[in-house]
Amino acid sequence: LRDYAESIVKTVRHPLVILNADLQIEVANPQFYRTFQVEPAATEGCRFYDLWNGQWSLPALQLLLEEIIPSDGFVEDFLVENDFAGIGVRIFLLNARRVERAEDHSFIIVLAIEDVTDRRHAAEAIQQLNEDLEIRVQERTAQLAASAKELEAFCYSVSHDLRTPLRAISGFSQELLRKYTPILDDTGVHYLKRVCSASQRMAQLIDDLLQLSRIGRADMRRVTLNLTAMAHEVGDALLQRDPQRTVTFKIEEGLTGQGDPNLLQLVLENLFENAWKFTGKKPEAIIEFGEADRDGCPAYFVRDNGAGFDMEYVGKLFGAFQRLHSDRDFPGTGIGLANVQRIIHRHRGTVWAEGVVGEGATFHFTLGSEEKE
Amino acid sequence: MSKKIILLVEDNQDDEELTVLAFQQGNVANEVVVVRDGAEAIEYLFGTGRYEGRDVSDLPQITLLDLKLPKISGLEVLRRIREDKRTRRLPVIVLTSSREEQDVIESYNLGANSYVRKPVDFVQFAEAIRQLQLYWLVLNEGPPV
Repeated sequence: LRDYAESIVKTVRHPLVILNADLQIEVANPQFYRTFQVEPAATEGCRFYDLWNGQWSLPALQLLLEEIIPSDGFVEDFLVENDFAGIGVRIFLLNARRVERAEDHSFIIVLAIEDVTDRRHAAEAIQQLNEDLEIRVQERTAQLAASAKELEAFCYSVSHDLRTPLRAISGFSQELLRKYTPILDDTGVHYLKRVCSASQRMAQLIDDLLQLSRIGRADMRRVTLNLTAMAHEVGDALLQRDPQRTVTFKIEEGLTGQGDPNLLQLVLENLFENAWKFTGKKPEAIIEFGEADRDGCPAYFVRDNGAGFDMEYVGKLFGAFQRLHSDRDFPGTGIGLANVQRIIHRHRGTVWAEGVVGEGATFHFTLGSEEKE
Repeated sequence: MSKKIILLVEDNQDDEELTVLAFQQGNVANEVVVVRDGAEAIEYLFGTGRYEGRDVSDLPQITLLDLKLPKISGLEVLRRIREDKRTRRLPVIVLTSSREEQDVIESYNLGANSYVRKPVDFVQFAEAIRQLQLYWLVLNEGPPV
């Protein structure tokens, strides 16, 4: 049994030492001798405190060996930190156990000493790196936010300034049309009309661009919204605007969601107006608004039976100024869905679409949650 | 009662011409006086600088004020108009390209009587001017002199 115990002592990776009741070293393992750079002959029989010219005679260690172990029988992960002559500051984790000797009721102490100095330093270095990284992330985030803001302001200013010359183009060409048609031939009048309608289109583009910039800058708040009521309002407004259309709205009852009221109003308006527009050539148009579960989160959808789109181009759908239909078929600036995506992303939600050419399109969106903002 | 003037504070020549054109189409008999920056507007209203000696009690019936102006901004002009006893009740209509919420709020905070955004389309612009004229020059009862 003694051989068995000794072979365990010798095998353990950490320095291990057996002390008798007088705290003299009975035996130690090779790792102990290596770590503390002492010879077995000069060590065995020595008092533990005398090792290394008495440097181990620490108050904490005395407390451990003379009080805690004799009374509690064991100790786990007892930390000793000391500036040792020759090797500098070391941190040791001590584990010890009192073992009764059956033959004479005396006891020995098995003491394992683990040098955790390097591990500690590594952990501290990692912590320092993490802190540095966190600071750097904060700095970069602030820079990013600042440049995004600058870009928004630039976008706003440019689109704003573009309106003034455009008003001159539109204004003077319309004056020409109004007063000078008698001295122009048909081609001249035609060209002027083209100038007028082009400037109108550009005005629409600028307005949409301004809205896109506003959406990025608008303050956002989250409240519980009655999406069903909002959808009914948006649908009713479309029916009033264009009463000759036959469109059936199927709006699910009791839909609520957490979001910004103004921004989500824009989302519903954009999606409904899209559905309205792209069902323009269907005699019996149906526009649905509902909710379907998606991975435990409510995902809302707006579905229509209109012109649909080719899934091959689905990636272009939400890009600003991207269009999947010619202006001749369905007029538009290609900003609406970019706005929708921007708003949904600001809500930490996702938006995606499915479509079949000639059969219709479905737009899904989720609203994310507040905690993640 | 003699026709009072309309003061147009506008730095852009095209906008100036189009606004005057729109007023002409509305058959307005009031003379339109154009000043081209904020400083000139102040000088005109308070009879200083280029307008030294002008009878400042002869206030415009309305002032159309652009916000983006060289030298002194439209908002600053508005602030000075409201600060001065002689002009504090002068009807000021902000007429601008901007629909920036901050501009609208600030204009009203400083005491603008109205805020109209210039439409890009001239037909709409002329219509806006026609309605402005009808309301401010005909329907509205101005402050007593």
